[in-house]
Amino acid sequence: MSANYSKEKLTLVNELIYQIKVKEAMSKKVIFFKENTTFRKIQLKLKEKKISGVPILDNVKNIIGIVSIDDVITAFDKGYVDNKITDYMSRDVITIPQNISVVSAIHKLERFGVGRLPVTESSDSKRIVGVITLSDILNRLLVVVQSIAEKVEDKEIKNTQISHDLIKHIVKKRLRFEVKGDDFDNAGRVASITKKYFQNLGISKDIIRRIAIVCYEAEMNICLHSLGGSMTIQVNDNNAVIYAHDKGPGIPDVELALKPGFTTASEKIRALGFGAGMGLPNIKHYADKLEIKSSLRTGTELKAIVNLGVKNEIK
Amino acid sequence: MKLSKIINECRLETIVFCTDCEIENGYCGDLMSDVMAHAGADCIWITIQAHKNSIAVALIKDIKSIVFTNNVTVEKEVIEKAKEEKINLLRTDKDSFTVCGEIYCLMEAKTAKD
Repeated sequence: MSANYSKEKLTLVNELIYQIKVKEAMSKKVIFFKENTTFRKIQLKLKEKKISGVPILDNVKNIIGIVSIDDVITAFDKGYVDNKITDYMSRDVITIPQNISVVSAIHKLERFGVGRLPVTESSDSKRIVGVITLSDILNRLLVVVQSIAEKVEDKEIKNTQISHDLIKHIVKKRLRFEVKGDDFDNAGRVASITKKYFQNLGISKDIIRRIAIVCYEAEMNICLHSLGGSMTIQVNDNNAVIYAHDKGPGIPDVELALKPGFTTASEKIRALGFGAGMGLPNIKHYADKLEIKSSLRTGTELKAIVNLGVKNEIK
Repeated sequence: MKLSKIINECRLETIVFCTDCEIENGYCGDLMSDVMAHAGADCIWITIQAHKNSIAVALIKDIKSIVFTNNVTVEKEVIEKAKEEKINLLRTDKDSFTVCGEIYCLMEAKTAKD
């Protein structure tokens, strides 16, 4: 085998045969005989199991010999096939300890020209715990290579997702919405769409919730208290800026409007569960920065900033 | 606690039932801004406000289940919106205080058992 190694890069497999231990590759089911059996019984077993040899073990599973198909043929030839194997079996047995890497097993199989090696518990033990063949090693190798390939595939999928997100991030489309005054049916639309947009950017849940609350309250303020206006949401590298602009009538006293519980809402609005005087205080609480400019002539401009947190600064 | 258990034990009427989600806590409130500020995600929300904005608030706050109390009328478009957004809608003729009490006892008993 070693002589025919392809000159192509075999580094992964080379590495793996040093990493994989005999015990990971061996079959634990060992077909064995005790020494009081005959060659004929062994021959029938070899035929049945399509194997080329069996180890001979004592009562505590220590190996004492081995009988190969060659030994059986010789027994037929010499006419002692129905005799007990005790006097004929080879007691010079080649074994391999279970905690050694399979590369040693490969060398041993080659060097002694055998098809299978009984595996011992350790290098100074004769107790048999398994048996290993080249095809066992090959099988194990394929399983390991397969799992490596799967991991690489997963990683690739993740990488494409990240680059997808990055592209989205770079595009940084401004979201812009018209918000009508007194339009209760569509109220909450800006916040819902904005929330979904930020979810696609892979921003943490907590930050998204804060952005959504700020959007919702700003949107409701335009809807409940103004003649209509617009909202813009701008995503920057480390923050989201929410602008809300309405056409009036403006807030006479911004300071007062920021006080929890202060409201100018009508009975009708309050019956719907709005106008509790908590909108602006909520925005103030959940945004990292809030600026309000209001004029009774031109209406109200609100600018709220929510920081996107450490995670996105790293990006 | 599974939503289905709350529905059965408190004999709630199911108007929309999408997912039998796990309920960890609850919130009771009829003021949208109050719910926006204080309700936790995945909670069960008890309210008398059965209009489209309730669905919008639930959506924004990740609330998956709403209980409407006092047998309020739920408009068809609210039901449609809830189905679209996969939010469970339940109703009862009891008032908010009573339903909150029942659900609270149920969840406390579960916690004590665990």
